[in-house]
Amino acid sequence: MASVMEKLITPLASGPAEPPRNKVTVVGVGQVGMACAVSILLRELADELALVDVVEDRLKGEMLDLQHGSLFLKTPKIVADKDYSVTANSRIVVVTAGVRQQEGESRLNLVQRNVNIFKHIIPQIVKYSPDCTLIVVSNPVDVLTYVTWKLSGLPKHRVIGSGTNLDSARFRHIMAEKLGIHSSSFNGYILGEHGDSSVAVWSGANVAGVSLQKLNPDIGTDKDSENWKKVHKEVVDSAYEVIKLKGYTNWAIGLSVADLTETLVKNLSRVHPVSTMVKGMYGICDEVYLSLPCVLNSSGVGSVINMTLTDDEIAQLKKSADTLWGIQTDLKDL
Amino acid sequence: MASTKEKLITHVSKEEATGSTNKVTVVGVGMVGMAAAVSILLKGLTDELALVDVMEDKLKGEAMDLQHGSLFLKTHKIVADKDYSVTANSKVVVVTAGARQQEGESRLNLVQRNVNIFKFIIPNIIKYSPNCILLVVSNPVDILTYVAWKLSGLPRNRVIGSGTNLDSARFRQLMGEKLGIHPSSCHAWVIGEHGDSSVPVWSGVNVAGVSLQSLNPDMGTDKDKEDWKSVHKMVVDSAYEVIKLKGYTSWAIGMSVANLCESILRNLRRCHPVSALVKGMHGVNEEVFLSVPCLLGNSGLTDIVQMTLKSDEEKQLKKSAETLWAVQKELTL
Repeated sequence: MASVMEKLITPLASGPAEPPRNKVTVVGVGQVGMACAVSILLRELADELALVDVVEDRLKGEMLDLQHGSLFLKTPKIVADKDYSVTANSRIVVVTAGVRQQEGESRLNLVQRNVNIFKHIIPQIVKYSPDCTLIVVSNPVDVLTYVTWKLSGLPKHRVIGSGTNLDSARFRHIMAEKLGIHSSSFNGYILGEHGDSSVAVWSGANVAGVSLQKLNPDIGTDKDSENWKKVHKEVVDSAYEVIKLKGYTNWAIGLSVADLTETLVKNLSRVHPVSTMVKGMYGICDEVYLSLPCVLNSSGVGSVINMTLTDDEIAQLKKSADTLWGIQTDLKDL
Repeated sequence: MASTKEKLITHVSKEEATGSTNKVTVVGVGMVGMAAAVSILLKGLTDELALVDVMEDKLKGEAMDLQHGSLFLKTHKIVADKDYSVTANSKVVVVTAGARQQEGESRLNLVQRNVNIFKFIIPNIIKYSPNCILLVVSNPVDILTYVAWKLSGLPRNRVIGSGTNLDSARFRQLMGEKLGIHPSSCHAWVIGEHGDSSVPVWSGVNVAGVSLQSLNPDMGTDKDKEDWKSVHKMVVDSAYEVIKLKGYTSWAIGMSVANLCESILRNLRRCHPVSALVKGMHGVNEEVFLSVPCLLGNSGLTDIVQMTLKSDEEKQLKKSAETLWAVQKELTL
């Protein structure tokens, strides 16, 4: 007796289902992971989304909650499992797993805790998606992107840290508010270390190509009567402030990861400030990851834009590189 | 000495910038409110989003977190305050405030707790947006939509409950899984009470206009070998299941709210199963709100599609109406 399905549908194409072309995996279904997942879904970037975590109930609950929204989405397959086989054939893997900053805790303190988690995660990801591009979000992101690169065995252009993509977005938001324009019309980069010692490249800050520093040569210095330097400080403090108010940050980082994912999946060659391996640039001799403006495409970091930095800005990058290397050499069992 | 801004930008317009044209307020910044807010932002539906809540730190933190994402969004103004003046001139106000279902708790148990909260919220909303459209999400949604209608003094077309828009979406997702078809090509309407006694209208379940019940006359009954009835049971149980696993539901309801807001703000006149005043229809004599297929546009819920229901389906609606009315008449409004 034919079932409803058999009566309704006559199959034409036989054979196994095609593998996904734009599969994205998100590792970690905490607030950041889910914000990344939802942003990626609502931007319609993936034809399959996989979620992985160790907390099984929560993982299943999050998967069901997203699946229940399928009617409103264009991602036909949403899967989740503790077992990494569910992540197979991913183009992009977003790593948000790990413990988060506590109130007042600096990102650097998280390090060893998260390294131990990554030693379990990264080899599994690469086992099932050897051709993927990894986006590392967990903090301290620059160190953990290095760790990920080492543990994965992938070429360096396939391992990206979300880096100062978010810092730059916050910078552009605050500067644009002050000028009364949309953030996408204010151009400015924050580079280097994601966190307390990021570098605001004031020389590049412009609207319609008009350099703000030419209008105000003191911009970014302590001499500046308009105190624009304060904006950079606000950016550095933002995460701590949001954490103090709501316990964590997630929406902005989620949107920024979806932005990176879009460039990678659609092979756009857009420029983003993301954490990449910078040995050999700006006098840096160690294998560290810092954020520089990178041209991203479907193979990952295609190239790096050689920004003209002042001696002071270069010195800051070197100093960050030294600090990061100091931490990295102390890491156990990499 | 001209400031950097003055050197950079010359203001030329003699007009005041017009205010927002499509403002949305979300009341309540819990998991549901924020999921709705993010879905609305990512769909680019509004030029101004206002958030209101009583928990000031959380409210401020959520607003900041969204504002930090402004580079990736097309909603230039995101504001938040405990004070309802921040909500002024909203086109749509989404109400998610209130206590949520605990594990195992039925929606009807939440009632009086949430009525008291609404007695504060609704008049404040209307004070600042007297011409808004209210979209009630808080549970039990059918009763609270009635409460919001009574407290607001708005005409019936401007008070909508999110109702069974989500139940229908869940049904269509499960149906899609069973048939190997995208949910948007699987048509099914779950109507009536959002919750345990919702009504799946089996006669309308179709793909490409082919009625599944005509292929399988036992569909929806206990005799059905394919047990399609369990699909409806899974829909009813979904919320409880997700709550048990992750503590609450948020993403699906958030997307469903954005879906409704899209029809309203873009004046689409799409048909959605949402909670509307159904007195006088399907044998219902009480002043209750139940989900039926409604056309939504920029003046709200303008029309209701009259479904041809079987007598036992109508009986279920009548029974829900009686249950809801029994609760409603005990409320102090």
